[in-house]
Amino acid sequence: MSVLAVQGIEKRYGGVSALAGCSFEIPGPGIYGLIGPNGAGKTTLFDVIAGNTPPDRGRVAIDGADVTGLAPHRLASLGVARSFQECRVFPEFSCLENLLFSGRRQGAGQAEARRLLELVRLESYAEQPAAALSFGQRRLLEIVGTFMQQPRLLLLDEPAAGVNPALLETLSQFLLAMFRERPSVLLVIEHNMEFVMALAGEIVVMHQGAVLERGTPQAIQASERVIEAYLG
Amino acid sequence: MAAALLEQVINGAMTGSVYVLVALGMVLIYGVMHVLNFAHGVLFMLGGYLCHFFLTRLTGNYALAVLLTMAALAVVGAMLERGVFRPLQGNLRNQVIASLGLILALENLAVALWGPNALQIKVPATERLVALGELRFPLQHLLIIGVTAAVVAAMFVFLKWSKFGTALRATSQDRNAARVVGIPVERMDVASFALGTALAALGGALVGPLFLVFPQMGDAPMVKGLAGILLGGMGSVPGAVVGGLIIGIAESVSTLFLPTDYRDSVAFAIMVLILLARPRGLFGVRARGEP
Amino acid sequence: MKRLVALAALVAALYAVPALATPYLLHVMVLSCLYAIPAVGLNLMLGYTGLVSLGHIAFAGIGAYVAAWLMVDARLGFWSALAIAVAASGLAGALIGAICLRFRSHFFMIVTLAFGLMLYSVMNNWDDVTRGAAGFPGIPRAPGFTTLESFYRLALSGALLAFAIQWRVVRSDFGRILLALRQDERLALAKGVNAALCKTAVFALGSALAGLGGVLLVSFLRVAAPASFTLAESINAVLVVIVGGAGSLAGPALGALLFVALPEYLRVAAEWRLVAFGVLLVLITLFAPRGLAGLIAEGWRRVARRSQ
Repeated sequence: MSVLAVQGIEKRYGGVSALAGCSFEIPGPGIYGLIGPNGAGKTTLFDVIAGNTPPDRGRVAIDGADVTGLAPHRLASLGVARSFQECRVFPEFSCLENLLFSGRRQGAGQAEARRLLELVRLESYAEQPAAALSFGQRRLLEIVGTFMQQPRLLLLDEPAAGVNPALLETLSQFLLAMFRERPSVLLVIEHNMEFVMALAGEIVVMHQGAVLERGTPQAIQASERVIEAYLG
Repeated sequence: MAAALLEQVINGAMTGSVYVLVALGMVLIYGVMHVLNFAHGVLFMLGGYLCHFFLTRLTGNYALAVLLTMAALAVVGAMLERGVFRPLQGNLRNQVIASLGLILALENLAVALWGPNALQIKVPATERLVALGELRFPLQHLLIIGVTAAVVAAMFVFLKWSKFGTALRATSQDRNAARVVGIPVERMDVASFALGTALAALGGALVGPLFLVFPQMGDAPMVKGLAGILLGGMGSVPGAVVGGLIIGIAESVSTLFLPTDYRDSVAFAIMVLILLARPRGLFGVRARGEP
Repeated sequence: MKRLVALAALVAALYAVPALATPYLLHVMVLSCLYAIPAVGLNLMLGYTGLVSLGHIAFAGIGAYVAAWLMVDARLGFWSALAIAVAASGLAGALIGAICLRFRSHFFMIVTLAFGLMLYSVMNNWDDVTRGAAGFPGIPRAPGFTTLESFYRLALSGALLAFAIQWRVVRSDFGRILLALRQDERLALAKGVNAALCKTAVFALGSALAGLGGVLLVSFLRVAAPASFTLAESINAVLVVIVGGAGSLAGPALGALLFVALPEYLRVAAEWRLVAFGVLLVLITLFAPRGLAGLIAEGWRRVARRSQ
């Protein structure tokens, strides 16, 4: 039974088809990169999986159970966590409060929150409101928050976007450390190829609303079809 | 029955026209600035009072008094934009609260200046009856419908074909892009506020002779105008016209079946029901305010 | 501990007011309490959750008329009528709130405004039950609270109860959820918050508090009239919350005191007073978005820093 199974998802906005029969399965824990040219439908797919957008057609299953069209909060309680492309944190909550709120249903407490903050070197900002952080730091806080939810399936939407190289290194190491600690499914949308190819064990390529190719980073980098999709 | 229905439809078209004038102004301001000015109704009310003032103290000519009223309130609108709404840009909650403050201030200012009792604007057009088949209507009714139709037509031409109107539309579609192509966005804001407020003033000045001028006279048109906008689709100019007319005619026709006292509730119930079925209204393209 | 002592002293002082005050001052204090109670409900919605309801006082009207009908027509005792009326306001809040909450931002405001006006229209026009525009006469005061002095103690107790509820809610997990919803609803959803349910719950709670205020108000005035539950009164409730400081525990009390008590002592005509309040509301949004409570907190911090 796969952790995540997406079957024939279709989604249209007005006359534009964002997802056109997107199907793939993720059998078990691992870090998966989700790449593809702009407009390939990656974020829409996240919105469908996380319950933010109901699909027009198709089915999403988590651990074999059909979860299509469930509300986001229900999916969250089933172990789906996500970050947002535009980076969302609670600006008035302190970093610590942000994390405690994220982990409140999993019973992840103060000690865990402080430990994770230390891993991304935000411990000195624990009591600061999230609004006081730089963009890159907010991004780290957001991602740490998703781990407080102890997810079975974690959807990260462009975690590296807008993060400076020094923080990027911290982020990479944090993701790998967390994965080693508690293996789960990390599905990562990313445009920063260097970052995602180093991080992911397997890459899924989307193009025009469907899966074009999947394979190891090496295989994907060598694929004619993928290069064509990016250039075309 | 048919005559009664026709009578109510024409009455409804008249009140609906007033709602259209209010709705057009609000939608213009909303479209360009993304500000929802709940104080639009008290500006409408000031239109009634100023028209009375200009007519009795200054001109003696109704048409001239209406034009002066519009000009005066356009200035007030521009001042409100500069002083209140521009500094609050981007903060929806505070804009709305500030507009509630303006309601309180201006409505009571009217009481303080002119007293709580209603004033009458005397114009011949309310006395003269015009025959339509077996029915007779005061000329003022038809005048309101006619002026509104002319304003709507002029507005469409202005927005569609004039350079300034195009710039307004561009600003409403994408502020940043408009700025990049050299449109003075801030000037568009002032212009939309001045124009929108002038339309509210026109509404107040037209209704004044028919229903008296009193401090709360703008409350109902404001809320009905809002209902019209929501019904038509937030931010849509044709939607504001159709929505305002629907509200006016529906509440008027409802008096054939329901006690007159529930007229307002009918208008709101229709709005809520249509919106539940069509969250973006009839012509809504974008549902701003959605997350 | 120090805070607790200060709070106890304040409460004791408030209960002691009748011993010192003139009937006029007492009257003003009663009205301040009665304004504060619905404002606490609105503070939970507007201040803590970010739901700007423009029809809040209509729910006070529901409580008021239900209680009036129960006491006068159904001959029920005051306390049972109060309990049922508060529950009815809460229930109406849950049902109407569930509809209003299908809408967001401007749409929510306008729909709450529309419901407020519809409810007002029912109070004003359903002559058989509500007695129409003249109002529902003959409402008794609570047994044992018939004099001005004793009624003040009742109104004060009602207000303190409202503030205690507010304090309890804000400090609870539910309170954290409300704050999270105000900041970013989409993110709260992703963190497992059932946003629709929580917002409906706070709408119901806020409406129930409005109902409590409504019942006490008409019991004080001895008549339930539609004029007490107009759009203008709903706007005043927003004013009380914002001027006092939205999203602060003491905000509604400061706002109500300023709104009711202060102007009584300014010797100007009522309409100029309201003009001033309207202008004040605009100025607060422009220059002090955290209201009086925010200004006081800021001032206190400065004094504390200087004394160090």
